[in-house]
Amino acid sequence: MPLFGKSQKSPAELVRSLKDAVTALERGDKKAEKAQEDVSKNLVLIKNMLYGTSDAEPQTDIIVAQLAQELYNTNLLLLLIQNLSRIDFEGKKDVAQVFNNVLRRQIGTRSPTVEYICTKPEILFTLMSGYEHQEIASNCGTMLRECARYEALAKIMLYSDDFYNFFRYVEVSTFDIASDAFSTFKELLTRHKMLCAEFLEANYDKVFSHYQRLLNSENYVTRRQSLKLLGELLLDRHNFSIMTRYITNPDNLKLMMNMLKEKSRNIQFEAFHVFKVCVIN
Amino acid sequence: MDPRMCRKISSSESLPEDENVEYEVSNIMAPQESEENFLIEGSPEPNSVTWLDDDQIDELDLNLDQTNLLFHRVDSADIIYRSKKKKCKMVGKYVMGDVLGEGSYGKVKEMLDSESLCRRAVKILKKRKLRRIPNGEQNVQREIQLLRILRHKNVIELVDVMYNDEKQKMYLVMEFCVGVLQDMLEASPGKKFPQKQAHNYFTQLLDGLEYLHGQGVVHKDIKPGNLLLTLDQTLKITDFGVAEALDMFSPEDTCYTGQGSPAFQPPEIANGAEQFSGTKVDIWSSGVTLYNMTTGRYPYEGDNVYRLLEAIGRGEPAPPPPALGPALGALLTHMLKRDPALRPSVHQIKRHAWVQAQPPLEPGERFIQPRSRRSDELHTSTVIPYLVERHYASAQEYFTERDLRNDMGEGGSRTMSTAELSDGESTQQKRRWHSSCGRLPSCRLT
Repeated sequence: MPLFGKSQKSPAELVRSLKDAVTALERGDKKAEKAQEDVSKNLVLIKNMLYGTSDAEPQTDIIVAQLAQELYNTNLLLLLIQNLSRIDFEGKKDVAQVFNNVLRRQIGTRSPTVEYICTKPEILFTLMSGYEHQEIASNCGTMLRECARYEALAKIMLYSDDFYNFFRYVEVSTFDIASDAFSTFKELLTRHKMLCAEFLEANYDKVFSHYQRLLNSENYVTRRQSLKLLGELLLDRHNFSIMTRYITNPDNLKLMMNMLKEKSRNIQFEAFHVFKVCVIN
Repeated sequence: MDPRMCRKISSSESLPEDENVEYEVSNIMAPQESEENFLIEGSPEPNSVTWLDDDQIDELDLNLDQTNLLFHRVDSADIIYRSKKKKCKMVGKYVMGDVLGEGSYGKVKEMLDSESLCRRAVKILKKRKLRRIPNGEQNVQREIQLLRILRHKNVIELVDVMYNDEKQKMYLVMEFCVGVLQDMLEASPGKKFPQKQAHNYFTQLLDGLEYLHGQGVVHKDIKPGNLLLTLDQTLKITDFGVAEALDMFSPEDTCYTGQGSPAFQPPEIANGAEQFSGTKVDIWSSGVTLYNMTTGRYPYEGDNVYRLLEAIGRGEPAPPPPALGPALGALLTHMLKRDPALRPSVHQIKRHAWVQAQPPLEPGERFIQPRSRRSDELHTSTVIPYLVERHYASAQEYFTERDLRNDMGEGGSRTMSTAELSDGESTQQKRRWHSSCGRLPSCRLT
């Protein structure tokens, strides 16, 4: 195919040239613009390899396996995520797509990328700190939620100290970032029921002291969303012991009763769900 | 000869209202000798046959043999039915469509929400029929209560409930699904799915079950007949008639009553245990479901219900065939453990190698079969003809007894009715019917 002459490049070459371009971009000298162009071009090539284009099929498994192997060996995934803010708009989206595709790859029952990220948890922490930068927050969000689907990765995220940053992220003033962060937060706390139940039980005091702040937040959306999530968590049978623990504290009952007095009907409604749990007991 | 036809001809003036038969016989009047078909319009009441008296027959001036007047031989191609007039009917804000299925409690019909243009299904419950079923009314009340709370992509959503006191009917408006897993299984060769497809459905069933158990709901009647599929192949768990909500504050999941389908009952219920773990009942029946989807058989079989329950109670299942592979075999034997405590939980199943792995692509994926001769592979809404009838020209389809029998002979597969009609006008009408469908593109999308 003459039109796609460049896609004949082997995965190894492609990854190497992308890596060179990203490091050049990281140094940020005069050639930065040129480097940025290179990065975007190479990213598009990799993306086409994985997804195919409208008139080309995705590459065979062997090529994709080689590509993934090269990505692990060169640590390119971490590098890309660290420099995500320097890549142009389309490039950011391509990074997210490539990342998600490689993550989903399975060999039999194994997911090699998940195993790789387990050995390199920095990737997850960098992604989580992505919420601090407005321009990359939503891209990091999509990648994080994809990671959260895997129990092993969700576990690393939950038990890390960075997890408590989420309580800050969900309250930032930019609405779309806050809601993106909240959906990731919710995903982490509800996706793997057993894992979350264990986590909440082990870290009950710490998590719920943070959670209290969300419930008392000035921000209407945060307050309502967190109240809804609290209701869902407590009403889930997997979190039975957490519920019994939560409702034995009279302060919580008091808080819910105050919430019932709120002006907003929706908050009243959500508070009632939690309140009924306390009262029935 | 088709038994239905016999009944039609032998009955006297007015036929009993048989709701199964959607067709009305316009007229049967076509002796062998004549090449023409006669069609007389304007029968006094629908669903009745117009009989001609002798004078009228004389008027028709047929060169009939007198001896032949007693028994006419009627060619199946000469019996012409006219499809029932599609009269647009509204219930609340919904436009009614065709019947999707029928149960002991009443019918399930397709509907179109006239405000949002969403396709819906409605379960029509008749009070009269409900009273005849043991626990019928309580079961329905419980189902409504449960469905109101539950919200998950793999659990059927109850959209609306309407009552009609005059007709003593209750309408449960639900999400629209195109097919039942059971029907698909029965239509596919060997009555089983390729592993890839079974894997897809099973993982969705697990997601739904995890949610239900998380909400403290035990379904107790998981089986292919209660699993529906939407157009985008999403599986929906339905029929919460015998489901039970566990007490929110009891740490165990003990249940006391079981009334599901016999073939899917676990040994503890078959043996009549007083109390049992609720969630493990669902695990067992999803195990049987998976067994059934992948092998086309049941782990326990018996000539009648008693034999079957006895076999389940004894607890020696037919071992999973080795052709399934070791991973699936191990999963099945684990899920079908006699002792409920030894059965895995939903989480353990989710972590099982067979569930985690992506099974290789196999040819021969089964698709949802069209329901009847008038539905098609694309599952176009059956409400559209009613709307066309309401807003455009009156359109009627004609077809003959032979077509009907051909359709049935081929197991419900669709052959475009090639009604060889004597009058050219009706073919013209048919064409107009199709072209007017094209004028409603928005309806097709819903």
